[in-house]
Amino acid sequence: MKRNWLKGFFVLSVSVLMLFSGALIFQSWAAEETIKIGVVGPRTGTAAATGKAFQEGIELALDRINKAGGVLGKKLEVIFEDTAGDPAKAASAIEKLITHDKVVMVVGESHSSAALAEIDVANRLKVPFIIAEAWHDDITKKNYKYVFRAGPCNSGVVNGYILGFIKDYGFKKVAIVAENTDWGLGIKELAEKGLKKAGITYTSLVTERKSQDHYAELNKIKKFGPDLILAFVYGFGVHYFIAQANEVGIVPQTALILEGAGPPSLWPEFWKTVGDAGNLELFVSRMHPAVTFTKVAKEFREAYKKKFHKPPTDYKSRSIFDVLLIAADALNRAGSTNPDKIVEALENTNLTVSSGVVRFGTTKGTYAYHQWQPPMLIIQWQDRKQVVVYPKDVATGKLRKQ
Amino acid sequence: MKRANLVSWCIAFVVALILPFLVSDYWLHSLISGLFYVLMASSWNLIAGYTGQVSFAHAAFAGIGCYTSGILAVKFGIPPFFGILTGIILAALLSLTLGALCIRMGGIYLSLTTLGFSEIVRIIIQNEYKITRGTMGLKVPFLFGNYSKITAFYIMLAAVVLVLVGIYFVLKSDLGLQFRAVQNDEIAAASVGVPVVFVRLTAFVMAGSLAALAGGLYGHYLLLITPHIPSLDTMFLVLAMTVIGGMGTMAGPVVGALFLEILSEYIRVYGEFHVLVFAIVAMIFARFFPQGIVGFMGNLIKQKT
Repeated sequence: MKRNWLKGFFVLSVSVLMLFSGALIFQSWAAEETIKIGVVGPRTGTAAATGKAFQEGIELALDRINKAGGVLGKKLEVIFEDTAGDPAKAASAIEKLITHDKVVMVVGESHSSAALAEIDVANRLKVPFIIAEAWHDDITKKNYKYVFRAGPCNSGVVNGYILGFIKDYGFKKVAIVAENTDWGLGIKELAEKGLKKAGITYTSLVTERKSQDHYAELNKIKKFGPDLILAFVYGFGVHYFIAQANEVGIVPQTALILEGAGPPSLWPEFWKTVGDAGNLELFVSRMHPAVTFTKVAKEFREAYKKKFHKPPTDYKSRSIFDVLLIAADALNRAGSTNPDKIVEALENTNLTVSSGVVRFGTTKGTYAYHQWQPPMLIIQWQDRKQVVVYPKDVATGKLRKQ
Repeated sequence: MKRANLVSWCIAFVVALILPFLVSDYWLHSLISGLFYVLMASSWNLIAGYTGQVSFAHAAFAGIGCYTSGILAVKFGIPPFFGILTGIILAALLSLTLGALCIRMGGIYLSLTTLGFSEIVRIIIQNEYKITRGTMGLKVPFLFGNYSKITAFYIMLAAVVLVLVGIYFVLKSDLGLQFRAVQNDEIAAASVGVPVVFVRLTAFVMAGSLAALAGGLYGHYLLLITPHIPSLDTMFLVLAMTVIGGMGTMAGPVVGALFLEILSEYIRVYGEFHVLVFAIVAMIFARFFPQGIVGFMGNLIKQKT
């Protein structure tokens, strides 16, 4: 009996080993036919919904690029590695993509702390990396040769949109709540600086990203009595924040809430958690059905509806779609997978994507180096419909306080 | 040590010496992580496998080691070598204090107290973001000179060899004998004059300091330390490695750590599910091979001869 057990065990281990090596051989055989680009982003953790949006955007981008002939005459392949929004996991994920999967470029990311860990690896291993949705200024401020960002940065969002919104609508007293991450603390600092300069009274609080209990912060805010709350919390935490604000009596008539990350207000779980407290909530976004920045935006919308049988909601599906188009364009113009040639091609990018025409900054010294800031929108939920309220030239309705 | 054992250890050492030149950068990274876990599992084995105290504070001590050294390097520019030394001393003092408080309780009470301590350490590190940078991760300099995986590998390997040889001689000594006496029967040991509390405390402090050494070296290799090192995730992984490899043997933790590290590279595509796979593997071993891989292989060889 015991002998049989052992025999079974060994047969099992040998077959598992054979399966693994078979898979490896198949992988290396398949690899020669394609050009590989790596994507990093959270597929698990508090922002796992972003991973789903990324996955959708990747599929649409691959359809579009490969239909148009792929890159460098070969089919484009994407390998999507999970970071869980954790810097240590992110650093090993990008290292794995580069050293193991041999990707020629990496794109993506949606957490600043993770991106700040990844850029060091990308720059050390000399592989071009285009960030889609990690906003901290330092990511491009470090002026790394191989790091680009075709997406929002904190300075661009605060100075270009949030401060303008506050001034134009005449808010007088602002409370800031920020998560204790690079993005949260960075955007909080910029908002404080801007509000101070504009002479607007403010107070700020720091919260834990994964926290589900915000009553302590909310009671402090209620005492302060603001007419606008800037919530810089990315993840499900902000849902609890909005629901609990309503519970302690912070209602739109006294103070509106502007959620500064965007997608959490668009996730399916949003209405489940916040209920009616979500009405008149504001959030930052890059996408609205009535605002078409370019022809590509329209094509994206149609392709999305056709493939997933629903209209796109989370704008990060389009963000990753855009960076993949930028990457494919740069590879084709570089004419090779040589990293320095790709960087040169990227610096000369002049490409229309769904958010606009991409041109990267090339003057060293500030965060504007290798940075392209897409246009943003501030949207308000009005009776469960998205209404663009800022910038005023693309607004689809008026800001409501009740 | 038996001749056959000595020969296999030497072969393993020689293979390890030439390994960095045979594998890709990616697998070298896994091997270095593997060596970190070898240090962690071997030192945890010292308390759990040889004196029978199941402590859950091991990852916390690794965290204390890497954060002490990391903060000293970042804020005061102190070279990692001295930083790690300071981390070890701090971990030794803390484990002495914690041990003095809870070592008499033993059994489940010791486990619960150390579990609490571990979470306290992690929560402090996570929330004091102004000093530790919390979940954002603290960027630290490399061990010394320019970044090189091969350098990191040999430093880790040297640490592993020193620690394993150290543990071997401790276990050979009178103290090692007392360890086992305490593990087998505390009352009997006390009746023949073994200072039970002192013996258990010594093992606890030794293990804590070695965890700090492992954490410090690993942190300066990763260049980025996060609260993941002092988390219960790391703790349970170390526990699974020791159990699967074979608790209470010299080779067990080494085999278990390398086996699970390499396995985790294969199953990382399944995301969070890899924890589930580890748990299943650990349960299968606990049920069918309670002495771990090493015990199982040992029996196999004995049957043949």
